[in-house]
Amino acid sequence: MGEVMLKKLAGVALATAMFMSGTSLVSAETINSEALSDPRVRQAIAYAIDMDTIVETLLEGRALVADSMLPNGPNKPDGLNPYSYDPEKARELLAAADWDTSRELDLVYYYGDQLTADLMAAVQAYLADVGIKITYRQLQGDVGAQLTAKPDDAVNGPANITWDLGYGAAAALVGQEYFNPYKTGGVSHTPGNAERDALIAKINSSSDPEVQKEGYFAIQKYWSENLNSIPLYYQQLFVFESDRVNRNGGAYGNDQYNYNWGIENWTVTPDENGKKVMYTNTAPAQFFEAPWLNLGIWMTTKIVFDRLLEVDGALNPIGGSMAESYEVSADGLTASFTLKDGLTWHDGEALTADDVKFSIETALRIPTIHAVVRNTFTSLTGSEAYESGAADSVSGISVDGNTINLSFDTLDPNLLITFGQFAILPEHLLKNADPLQFQQDPFWQNPIGSGVYKIEEVQMNDFTRYVPFENYHGGVAKIDEIVAFPSYDGDANLIKNATAGRMDYGFTKNTGDVASLEALDFMRVIPVDIPYTRMIWINQFSRK
Amino acid sequence: MSRRSLDRKFDRILELEEAQKLSPSRRNRALAKLLNNRLAVLGIILFSIILFSAIFAPLLTDANPLKIDLRNASKAPSAEHWFGTDKTGRDVFARVLYGGRVSILVGLGSGLISAVIGIIIGAYTGFKGGWIDVLALRVSELFMSFPQIILVLLLVSIIGQSLLNLMIIFILTGWGGMYRMARAQMLSLREEEYVQALQSFGLSTASICYKHILPNALGPVMVNITLSTAAFILAEAGLSYLGLGVPLNIPTWGNILNTAQDLRVLQNYWWMWLPVGTVISVFVLSVNFIGDGLRDATDPSQQG
Amino acid sequence: MLVYVIRRIFVLIPMLVVISFLVYLGLELTPGDAVSSLINPEVASRITPEQLQALRESYGLNDPFLVRYVIWLGNIFQGNFGHSLAGGVPIATIFLDRLPATLELSFVALLFSTIIGCILGTISALRRGSPTDNFLTVFGMLGVSVPEFLFGLSVMLIFALNLGWLPAGGRLMPGYETIWDRAPHIVLPAMVLSLMMTAGVMRYSRSSMLDALTRDFIITARSKGLPEWRINLLHGFRVALTPVVVLIGFRLPLLIGGSVIIEQVFQWPGIGNEFITAVRGSDYPLVMMIALFSVFAVLMASLIIDVLTALIDPRVRLN
Repeated sequence: MGEVMLKKLAGVALATAMFMSGTSLVSAETINSEALSDPRVRQAIAYAIDMDTIVETLLEGRALVADSMLPNGPNKPDGLNPYSYDPEKARELLAAADWDTSRELDLVYYYGDQLTADLMAAVQAYLADVGIKITYRQLQGDVGAQLTAKPDDAVNGPANITWDLGYGAAAALVGQEYFNPYKTGGVSHTPGNAERDALIAKINSSSDPEVQKEGYFAIQKYWSENLNSIPLYYQQLFVFESDRVNRNGGAYGNDQYNYNWGIENWTVTPDENGKKVMYTNTAPAQFFEAPWLNLGIWMTTKIVFDRLLEVDGALNPIGGSMAESYEVSADGLTASFTLKDGLTWHDGEALTADDVKFSIETALRIPTIHAVVRNTFTSLTGSEAYESGAADSVSGISVDGNTINLSFDTLDPNLLITFGQFAILPEHLLKNADPLQFQQDPFWQNPIGSGVYKIEEVQMNDFTRYVPFENYHGGVAKIDEIVAFPSYDGDANLIKNATAGRMDYGFTKNTGDVASLEALDFMRVIPVDIPYTRMIWINQFSRK
Repeated sequence: MSRRSLDRKFDRILELEEAQKLSPSRRNRALAKLLNNRLAVLGIILFSIILFSAIFAPLLTDANPLKIDLRNASKAPSAEHWFGTDKTGRDVFARVLYGGRVSILVGLGSGLISAVIGIIIGAYTGFKGGWIDVLALRVSELFMSFPQIILVLLLVSIIGQSLLNLMIIFILTGWGGMYRMARAQMLSLREEEYVQALQSFGLSTASICYKHILPNALGPVMVNITLSTAAFILAEAGLSYLGLGVPLNIPTWGNILNTAQDLRVLQNYWWMWLPVGTVISVFVLSVNFIGDGLRDATDPSQQG
Repeated sequence: MLVYVIRRIFVLIPMLVVISFLVYLGLELTPGDAVSSLINPEVASRITPEQLQALRESYGLNDPFLVRYVIWLGNIFQGNFGHSLAGGVPIATIFLDRLPATLELSFVALLFSTIIGCILGTISALRRGSPTDNFLTVFGMLGVSVPEFLFGLSVMLIFALNLGWLPAGGRLMPGYETIWDRAPHIVLPAMVLSLMMTAGVMRYSRSSMLDALTRDFIITARSKGLPEWRINLLHGFRVALTPVVVLIGFRLPLLIGGSVIIEQVFQWPGIGNEFITAVRGSDYPLVMMIALFSVFAVLMASLIIDVLTALIDPRVRLN
């Protein structure tokens, strides 16, 4: 055992020297008894999969090959190893790592669509070609626990999960989200490592873009050598619109979140009765999802609720939405938002700063909250005491008339991004809701918000009708009625409805949908680059 | 006739009986009838063609059903790929042949095993009677109180998806019909004089069941097996459609046909679903033809 | 008769209780629970074990198995069917919402398939051995040999997407007021379902008609010189009706279970659709209630059928 270990370590040093010379930072993570903890094996996997061909064929050219966890942009350094298809190199690396060719790896995934199954078949074939046998299966039952059960010892294992490889994704609101889970003790598959922890701390240490950039450069170089998870491709998002719809200058952006798309100014060709109706999807089947986990995926979340700030298509804050003005101190530790005058909920009740305070406090007690939002709120002074029940309110939040003041214990670089996405909910309707069963509250059968559209009629599993909110602070929307049907991306009903002319706007990440939508002559498809990386997770812990 | 000579005569009958010399010739007549039924013959031919092409798949195609070729994906049928290629460039013809192995195994295997289990339980408990009969009857009623698909889905959600699990589920949901039939046969037959006579000779229960009662029930048994085989093959396809069938890394008819869910495939790539859809339908149809022929051939009320 | 019905109902209840226990036990043994299925895996990795624990506690998932079962069963007897885990909607509400859609579809399909099936089966029997009979036999078998969803998808592709004659799916659209607004939506799913069901009825009514035609009293009627059509219709059909009633009875459970796949294909918001969603999402209370409800429907159907057979056919006696 010890001898094998030494041999492996020596091998790593050699491999590092062979393949990574040229990069300034040379580092290797600890290798344990699990062969996948050997970076050479992970590199071999990366070399073995011909992502260029997969993207070109299976994904129909509608994705970008990934060379890092982080999407392309200013924070990506030059010279990252793209791990272009090189089966020969993969075989050499495996030979050097003494790969046991009789071993069969277990690859798991959780998407139910055909494209994923095809992709898995392709990965299986490519890996078989270099001598790595795998089988793949879709996880059933308790998917979350099977993916995320962390080991008792975050550094030495053994693993609490049974799979070897996992196909998954990370959608991020902010760049840190790609790396923060890999802090020691954060994930089920990758052993903790002090060097990595330090690099992660660096990207979170400042809200100064230049300092962050330096941190991002460093951690991506580190990642490119260690491949703790193997980035496969960057997912694009495809917005589709029928030729009946005109955005009148509204922007296009990351439709998984909220941004200044200007839906109040959209117009649509009237039907034979002169009524302006726009059809879309994502109507609920059983209940409306609370808007704090998926911040902007569902139509209801986007248009029925409103947020304090407005952001652009790349999700950077550009001004107030419900906030008349806002201010953040130079050290980033205090912030204040002043609401516009005369804001009301769809039921006519006044919307006040107390609703904002209520929303933040409620969010702290609800388990299913978006990680970025949660990170902002847990940075608030007194949030811990409130969460544990020791305090009745968060001391870091104070209300002064129309103004809400926040003070933070620790810096959150994404404070404004949070308030560009965080929907404010009505205290008068939700104050008695049980935070632990928030989603089960009757409110979510027909929610009341303060957004540009209000819900007029709900037929669960059939359709939802929205009409303009006459008292919206940004003006009354021009489309008379929006009708949403229950279909989602990657689901045959989306294409069915679109073909039948019952779909004027929507978005999808499924490249199969895109080809079908483009085939409809009245539909245009607008690809949008979004931060969304598909990757292979690798269980590097020793097995039980 | 003296008592001794009567004993001797019975001993001789018993001997013949045990040597199976007295086995009924009805089966041969049934077979002849079956072969006279044109649809049944057609069924047997189609069934055999599909079954043997699946079994001898390697002789019929060199293609590996798992071998991908992304650059040659979604190609229409050609001399090289008789049924074209699928979205990852796998040979659809090879997949249909190899997929047939699994699907037929699931259908026929589950049909046979559930029949055997049903017969064993039905024959034994029906013959024995008493509490064990009541228990078996209640358990079968329990299973039969569910609409089939609801029970299958419920069991899928309980024991999870895998090839073996699917067969277990089919067997669990399928044994009841056979059991009831076997039991009913048993109840009526055990009252028959010749069975009672055999019993009084001291033949064991098991051997009476095996040698005298089962041959009489063979017709309905075969009919039942064919019907459940057809039903299981269709169920496998249906479950694949719902995403709750055999895991996708195993090619089965259902998993291949599943691509038809994608409207684009349905509209543009007929070769990815039409051949396999046809093969499933023809196979099930042939099984139904055989079953129907068997029913006609073995049902005494339909003689003449 | 009344005594018989009441006695049957009393037998039914323990049966349901045993089944409910087994189903509850089965679902208990599955990996994972409602909480884990409520949280998407990308988020679950960021939730602390304490938060998860608190969530489980709030759903009462931490109580011992038997305690939960007894509480649940007690609630059912008080008419409280519980709540769906996913949305907290009372299950009774879901039933009220979805059941009409399923019954609507299944009734139409059952009605058409029974009428068409009986007619075709009778024709087939009267012309036994003719080309018509052979054609109908093959046609009927084809009907039960094509995978349901493939048939459904093809029909949808042709009539809804390519020809555009009928809607591709759904049931209600905004602004629908009368039944005629909704009628076009049911045509395709009901047609597919009827055709798949017709085959069975046809085969069954054919063989029972054949059976009836060889009965003594028919022969007697014939010997009395009654016109052939009257014999067939009045005597033959009436006797053949008994097995048809039995058949319908056996098919009553199809009202709940028969349309599961077709509901998926045509996005029909019925109970089958809901069941699939619940199974995929491990929404146990909902899975259990739908399963139990369908068992209840089957048992009731078999009761009704026994009573009806006795009413139609005087030879059958209830005891």
